Amino acid sequence: MSESIIVEGLSKRFRRYSADRPWTLQEAVLRSFRGLQTAEYFWALKDVSFRVPAGKMTGLVGRNGAGKSTLLRLVGGVGQPTQGRILTQGRISSLIDLGVGFHPDLTGRENIFITGVISGLTRQEVARRFDLIVGFSELEDFIDSPFRTYSTGMRMRLAFSVAVHTDPDILLIDEVLAVGDMAFQQKCLDRIEAFKHNGCAILLVSHDTSLVEKLCDEALWLNAPEIKAQGPAKLVVQQFVKEMQTETQRRTPSSWRPLQLREGEELRVNENRFGSLEMEITEVRLLNAAGFPATAYESGDAMQVEIHYSAPQEVPGPIFGVTISKEDGFVCYDTSTEADGKLLSKVQGRGKVLLYFERLDLIGGSFYIDVGAYRRDWAYAYDYHWHAYPLEVRPTHGEKGILRPPHRWEV
Amino acid sequence: MSSLSNPANMSINPRQLTYLFDLLRELIARDLKLRYKRSFLGIAWSLVNPLAQLLVLSFIFSRVLPLNIPNYPSFLFTGLLAWNWFQTSLYAATGSIVDNRELIRKPGFSAMILPIVTVATNFIHYLLALPILLVFLWINGVSLSTTCMALPVIFAVQFLFTLSLSYLVATLHVTFRDTQYLLGIVLLLGFYLSPVFYDPSAIPGRFQMIYRLNPMVVLIDAYRHILLQGQLPGGLELLALSLISAGLLWVSYRIFIRASAQFAEEL
Repeated sequence: MSESIIVEGLSKRFRRYSADRPWTLQEAVLRSFRGLQTAEYFWALKDVSFRVPAGKMTGLVGRNGAGKSTLLRLVGGVGQPTQGRILTQGRISSLIDLGVGFHPDLTGRENIFITGVISGLTRQEVARRFDLIVGFSELEDFIDSPFRTYSTGMRMRLAFSVAVHTDPDILLIDEVLAVGDMAFQQKCLDRIEAFKHNGCAILLVSHDTSLVEKLCDEALWLNAPEIKAQGPAKLVVQQFVKEMQTETQRRTPSSWRPLQLREGEELRVNENRFGSLEMEITEVRLLNAAGFPATAYESGDAMQVEIHYSAPQEVPGPIFGVTISKEDGFVCYDTSTEADGKLLSKVQGRGKVLLYFERLDLIGGSFYIDVGAYRRDWAYAYDYHWHAYPLEVRPTHGEKGILRPPHRWEV
Repeated sequence: MSSLSNPANMSINPRQLTYLFDLLRELIARDLKLRYKRSFLGIAWSLVNPLAQLLVLSFIFSRVLPLNIPNYPSFLFTGLLAWNWFQTSLYAATGSIVDNRELIRKPGFSAMILPIVTVATNFIHYLLALPILLVFLWINGVSLSTTCMALPVIFAVQFLFTLSLSYLVATLHVTFRDTQYLLGIVLLLGFYLSPVFYDPSAIPGRFQMIYRLNPMVVLIDAYRHILLQGQLPGGLELLALSLISAGLLWVSYRIFIRASAQFAEEL
């Protein structure tokens, strides 16, 4: 099998200027060119080696600042390695900073040509793919309207569509798969699968570890500046997630006033509550279809989970997660604001988020709703309440299992 | 593994050439479209500036301080258009790297194209204004001769010269963000030191040698020879200038490429 990307002993050193580095010639002359020298160096990557064969996908996981994006850009030829070498074979395309080159005052059509060419296609190649690009973006009716009249979702769809029609041999993806609605996201994922199938080597950076686990063959866990683990995606992701949980435990304060819950239970840190508590979940309520608090439901009922939070300091883009689990810890369902593409901006003070289940298709039994608020890169939890909110689903006669999908017999 | 290539090296093959040409074309077209789309006056708008300059300068130097140069409007406009192409290109090229941060950080994008785009875009503005100059020549009763065939050569030399300086100022601006401001001052002085509104023969003899070291003197002189007098300009001087420009371009391009490895980090 041919290797499309070969990275050998790659190290990258960045310079950091002193805070009072002169940025104008005038200042530089006044200070007789002092302060222009690099104040210090730091290693963003050290001795990183890996290979991605054609038709394989490698995921990069790690926290913010772990060097993932730096590595991705270096493979794309932006900047030069300080040591080591990067060899690539074939045309490189990137899904990084989607929307670069798009201009609001030009029409969708004009923008397709400009960004198509910027992405590495000749004009003729763009022209040949034009209908495919427009079709994929589902923007046929708006293609001659100015780009500024598009909604954010439409813009992203068009940008993504141009980017995936470049027939790359190597594709670099940075956090851009959460584009548009669920149907479009699935289309994007299908497209990526198709690339892989056609022999494209893909390098994916994502905070969504489940996505890396699902899509990638191999994974690299970067922990600036070195690689902490590399190997089969499943194993590496599991290690990374485990470390993240440990990190949460490490950050959980050893004592904190217990939080009294409505049902008479108490939340105690390191027992059923974990997290750095930079941001607290102050109250969680399960509400029925009419909006009243209830903990017992019929299978198939609607239910809302209302999460109240309090953030004394500003918290940038937290992620909220909700898990339905059995008493023994078995996870029946797990979702998060990030998984559903609902990105929060910074929060401060008090507020609430709502998760609405249209149907609770669980079989009768005792469950728990576990709730968490996480740092935006999933590095650790701010606050995680485990097995504190019971959920009863009334038993039905003669059924077993976990799920109770709507069903009927015909005999 | 021999076919593996380092992304930093750009091998030149026919597709690459087509691609670079298309990229240039799209980026220039974008600049032009944006310039002309938003104002309903369209192309006429870009002529307002040189025409206003023409009006004021020709009033001053034919009524207030008469220079007694024959066909003064044509004489002046020839110099103005050439100078404006040089000045606006250089000024815009200064910011061409800093203002396109996202493009520079995009894998596969070669920054070297950006200064070329600026100089070429302004060349097109220049070409669009040329018909006005022809109207002035016609009013002044100057008929064009076959020497006009030599114009593209002068265009090419000015293009080379402007581009070579553009690479330098674009690189410098990444390190020192007041380059554009300083350049404005230098260009203002350059305007007076170039024969835009006066005749270079008015420069005293002992300064002529130094004065003609300014490439814009040679270029503007050449335009006037061709357009106003219907003569071919001095070949030796132009040859020297094109060789110097080519040499300068080689040096400044290398400086630019060398610095460009750091652009993504410095921006």
